[in-house]
Amino acid sequence: MPQVLDRIQIGMVVNGESVTIMAPSTATLLDVLRNGLELTGTKYGCGEGECGACSVLLDGRVVNSCLVLAVECEGSKVLTIEGLESNGQLHPIQKAFVDYGAVQCGFCTPGMIMAAYALLESNPAPTEDEVKRGLEGNLCRCTGYQKIIEAILSLAVRGADDV
Amino acid sequence: MFEAASVATPKRRTKKDTLIGRRIPKLDAPEKATGLARYIEDLNFPRMLYGKILFADRPHARIVSIDTSAARAMRGVRAVITAADINLVPFGYGQDNTALKADKVTCIRDEVAAVAADTPEIAAEAVKRIRVTYEDLPVVASPEEAVADGAPIIHEKIADNTPFRYDYSHGDIEAGVGDSHIIVEDTYTLQRQAHCCLGTSGIIASFDADGRLTLHSLTQVPFLYKNDLARIVGVAPEKIRIIQPPIGGGFGSKLDIHPFEPICIFLAMKTSRPVKLVFTREEEFLATPTRQNAVIYMRSGARKDGTFTFRDVRMTLDNGGRTSWGATTPWIMMRSFSSLYRVPHVRQHADIIYTNNIYACAFRGYGNPQATFALESQIDQLADELGMDPLDVRLINAQKPGETTGQGMVLRTCGLKECLETSAANAGWETKRREAEASRNQQTETPNRAATVRERTKEQAGIACSHCRSMVRGVGMASFFHVGGGAKIYRSDGCGTILKLDDFGAVTVLTGSSEIGQGSETVLAQIVAEGLGLPMKNIRVINNDTELTPWDVGVHASRTTFIAGNSVLRAAREARRKLLAAAAARLKREPDQLDLSEGKVVDGATGEALESIGKIIRGLHFGSKNELIMTTDFYEPPSTAPDEDQMGDISACYAFGTHVAEVEVDLDTGVVKVIKVCATHDVGRVINRLGLEGQIEGGIVQGLGYCLSEEVKVSEGRVLNPSFTDYKLMTTWDVPEMELSFVETNDPAGPYGAKGVGESPLIPVAAAVANAVYNAAGVRIRELPLTPEKVLAHLKAASRPAE
Amino acid sequence: MIYHRPKTIEEALSLIGRSAWPVSPLAGGTDLLPRWSAGVQDRPASIVDLKHIEDLKGVSRANGDIRIGACTSMSEIEADPLIRAAAPILAEAVGRVACPQIRNRASIGGNLCNASPAADSAIPLLLLDAEVEVATHTDSGATIRTVPIEEFFKGPGATVVAPGEIVTHLRFKPVPQGAFSAWDKFGTRPAMEIAVASVGVAVELGGGVISRARVGYGSVAPVPLRGKAAEAELLGMALSPEVINRCENAAREEIKPITDVRASQAYRRDVVAAMLRRILQRAASS
Ligand SMILES: Cc1cc2nc3c(=O)[nH]c(=O)nc-3n(C[C@H](O)[C@H](O)[C@H](O)COP(=O)(O)OP(=O)(O)OC[C@H]3O[C@@H](n4cnc5c(N)ncnc54)[C@H](O)[C@@H]3O)c2cc1C
Ligand code: FES
Ligand code: FES
Repeated sequence: MPQVLDRIQIGMVVNGESVTIMAPSTATLLDVLRNGLELTGTKYGCGEGECGACSVLLDGRVVNSCLVLAVECEGSKVLTIEGLESNGQLHPIQKAFVDYGAVQCGFCTPGMIMAAYALLESNPAPTEDEVKRGLEGNLCRCTGYQKIIEAILSLAVRGADDV
Repeated sequence: MFEAASVATPKRRTKKDTLIGRRIPKLDAPEKATGLARYIEDLNFPRMLYGKILFADRPHARIVSIDTSAARAMRGVRAVITAADINLVPFGYGQDNTALKADKVTCIRDEVAAVAADTPEIAAEAVKRIRVTYEDLPVVASPEEAVADGAPIIHEKIADNTPFRYDYSHGDIEAGVGDSHIIVEDTYTLQRQAHCCLGTSGIIASFDADGRLTLHSLTQVPFLYKNDLARIVGVAPEKIRIIQPPIGGGFGSKLDIHPFEPICIFLAMKTSRPVKLVFTREEEFLATPTRQNAVIYMRSGARKDGTFTFRDVRMTLDNGGRTSWGATTPWIMMRSFSSLYRVPHVRQHADIIYTNNIYACAFRGYGNPQATFALESQIDQLADELGMDPLDVRLINAQKPGETTGQGMVLRTCGLKECLETSAANAGWETKRREAEASRNQQTETPNRAATVRERTKEQAGIACSHCRSMVRGVGMASFFHVGGGAKIYRSDGCGTILKLDDFGAVTVLTGSSEIGQGSETVLAQIVAEGLGLPMKNIRVINNDTELTPWDVGVHASRTTFIAGNSVLRAAREARRKLLAAAAARLKREPDQLDLSEGKVVDGATGEALESIGKIIRGLHFGSKNELIMTTDFYEPPSTAPDEDQMGDISACYAFGTHVAEVEVDLDTGVVKVIKVCATHDVGRVINRLGLEGQIEGGIVQGLGYCLSEEVKVSEGRVLNPSFTDYKLMTTWDVPEMELSFVETNDPAGPYGAKGVGESPLIPVAAAVANAVYNAAGVRIRELPLTPEKVLAHLKAASRPAE
Repeated sequence: MIYHRPKTIEEALSLIGRSAWPVSPLAGGTDLLPRWSAGVQDRPASIVDLKHIEDLKGVSRANGDIRIGACTSMSEIEADPLIRAAAPILAEAVGRVACPQIRNRASIGGNLCNASPAADSAIPLLLLDAEVEVATHTDSGATIRTVPIEEFFKGPGATVVAPGEIVTHLRFKPVPQGAFSAWDKFGTRPAMEIAVASVGVAVELGGGVISRARVGYGSVAPVPLRGKAAEAELLGMALSPEVINRCENAAREEIKPITDVRASQAYRRDVVAAMLRRILQRAASS
């Protein structure tokens, strides 16, 4: 029997805002973001870590939110796709995805962008192979990945020595 | 009719200020990139319930009894339904499906009962508590078993388990055989491929107080769907409204009515509350149809000079336990056999056979990837026998513009020759092929090919580098033929448009055609912007609400750019005429002296801006005439439905293309790595280059998945790999270098000369890769996917000394 | 489910002892959560989250050994300079687990305790003769026993860790200068792949012949397997083509693969042989 009654209070910082929510102990971070906080930009694609559609940053690292229990996030910082845009301006990664044609059906896009965000945070000048590695856990059925890779490479900060 | 659809681009306008051919980002991309787009799973309504289905989970059985009492007793359960509770109206292409099954299940995914509950968790638990007693029946696991003597009958009405047969022929096979110097025959085996839309299937059904039904649905054929559903659920069609939220991938999967859709409606009816039913990934794998697996036997001949003489095809398609539109794919397959190349004598026979497997439906290419794999593999085999370059054989037989094919399709434009030549040149065809052949010939000195390469290189390089030498490379090619201007399958293949301008020059286009991620919305906006000389940002396309939009037959057959494009173009042209007339009156000029550009009425000769379009419209609206600019159009393509013999010009134009794949084969493990794909497509005219490239790249990679790794494995009717863990999609690492070229044949029927391309890029990929594997490693593999294990088995078999 | 978040090993052990059963230690959850949601394993009554125990995280040096906390993530291990220098194949192997999202969560302790024959960290640890530290609850807090990695696995999903115990650390000696070690895994696609088979080799040379040899195989037996027969072919020999051949044959003999939805038994033999041969050829030329 699902334990709908066993709810736990969880406090975390989501997209810079402190939130407190009540969630069942079995709920995943994905459930809480989507249903509790109505942040539906984070997608469910498989629920088992295989597709990356649910990618978010948890304390600065990209994770599959379907594989994290909400209770584990007590005291953590979460960044979702909704947290990237600021003052109505697209984040540069979002803009690159739009301009480079990296979005088709768009279902993989939020997860892709979060994975790209994590990659560029830790490696501002990735090579093509590093981009492929950074996105290896994100499936896309529409684009064939090429335009996604191009979009991210367009943001790679190139030093004089690696031209 | 053709003239009506083509457009005279104003002479003076230079290349650079036309929108056609530009790289235009998708209009809905910002909404999706910010996570604001609301897909079906993201939509919720007050008091909404959650639906869940109980699937049979056994391939063939009689339903003895269903006990729903435990489920009904659960708190939070609002309805439990079985076949006894609903209208049992048969539906589906074979009229052999019902929303819930009454007395018999014929595949594991058959829907037996359903629940609506307050939460998804309660619904899932309730479904588990439904007790069904079955009496198992013998399982028919394959078409061979289904047609064997004494096979169990799966559907009463069809005693031979063969619900459909397709025959086609032109010419006389025997004459063709007599005319041949060389004959090749072989059998090709194709697997089931799952659509794997990243967003799973779903629907939300709700009734209002008047009994009007609103569906948030992912269908790609809203108008046909509405009529069919009306019959199934017993609601008048005029009381059904379909709203299509953004969809997480389509690829043909949303062409049929799937049982979960009427089930959800019945639940909403029962509970008088909105009900949402969205699949989990596992349900998506188990309970949505796939690309049909097929066995294709093909025999074909050629004369010494390489001209084709005949082609004889017999196919068996595994229909699974129910019939969807997928059963009609031979209808498209025969067109490639008959018309990609000139062949005087062609015959095709196809049997669609019931089994207790999961069933198939439409999937990008609609049978054509299967057909093209067989066809283009066999052409390479013929070339091999003839001792000719596969490119030359194809060039000799390629259809040309102006020809009418054996099946009566009129090729007003045809860029196949250019496609063949361009892809070959881009790939370095001749050099690469010769290199591969040279290294193969060295190897064939002893029969043990794989071993020899290893030994030879060991000597040459010491053992140090031999691991890299057990890699061999090669190139292969394949072309395709596909409808490019719709396909007259239904009584009408048309699409309607309503176009209106507001007082400030902003345009709303209501089109019947749907956007399923393919970018049609942007292309249509571009066509309208171009036609009206307005910036893209002024155009808004509404394409997802049957209450607002005019009729369209649906998204399939790569038809949207072409058909909907023509319709919006004609509506835009009519609006343009009205605008220019109003401007001419106001500016005291002749309409043909004026043009529209960047939101302005300009002097047609000098390009000098004379007045803003908004001003002209306001003048018309608030001035003495009191008129608004609103236009409508319904475009029916100039194609004809095929006759009883399947002859006829079913599409307004036809798309062609050639892919050359370069591969590296690991002789030790059988891994095939695709290094590069050179793809050239006759697209008529490039409208949105960015969108077009995206379609082609995406299609290539989907085709690589089909070729290399994707397979829904089914044994005794059960699916063995219903998850992304074991159903292998391509990942970022699998993306080859892709070199795309476009041949612009400017089809007179297309909007600005464009043809449809949506499905094409997937079609030839598998054959090109398999041909490249042959060129690289000397093994011809006739069965997809080319998994490492399968390739290695072929390599080993080839290296065993011949008896 | 009741969720606990201990800060020390002792607290964790005591919580595991006192909480409502069944109790499950939780690290990254990348094995546990998919199993729960797929319904192949029931959710426990209590979870003890080990991730917030400082002592279980990170890489350190201890008396010349390298010591890794059980909750250290694959990403941290891959990036760790100590590991990259002292055990490069471990860095490589954990770097090929799934994808960044999983590597950021998946812990090495979880990888071992989950005891899949395909666990990617297991083979490098076998080659390193690693030892596993297992903590047991006692009245005074915790006692630690040390288990050689070779004895750690008992079957698919089974280890020597008893209910109530947790793995705290792994330790091993750095690979000596000049030693050769390599690891490779085979899947049907380059990323996101549970190994169809994997192979690791570590050899040290003395006087022109191999003085220490370790061979390990993944996904070809009920547990991550040490290749004793292959090692015997190598020990005391120079890496000639004949030795490589014999070693390859020994490997084919000693592995016990099964046929499943991912690959057949015969094919697993072939890819193990191919990977082993390639690694040994590289060793010969290095
Ligand atoms: C999509 C996907 C891909 C994957 N790909 C790979 C791959 O390529 N290679 C690979 O090796 N694995 C792979 N895995 C499996 C998994 O990620 C690893 O096994 C991972 O290392 C498990 O660690 P964890 O911390 O997430 O374990 P958890 O899920 O937290 O725990 C696993 C088990 O170990 C127990 N446990 C955890 N820590 C301890 C401890 N310190 N003491 C005692 N018991 C403990 C838990 O109770 C549980 O039974 C994949 C998983 C997924 C979902
Ligand atoms: S939904 Fe989390 S990885 Fe697919
Ligand atoms: S854009 Fe559709 S899945 Fe990536």
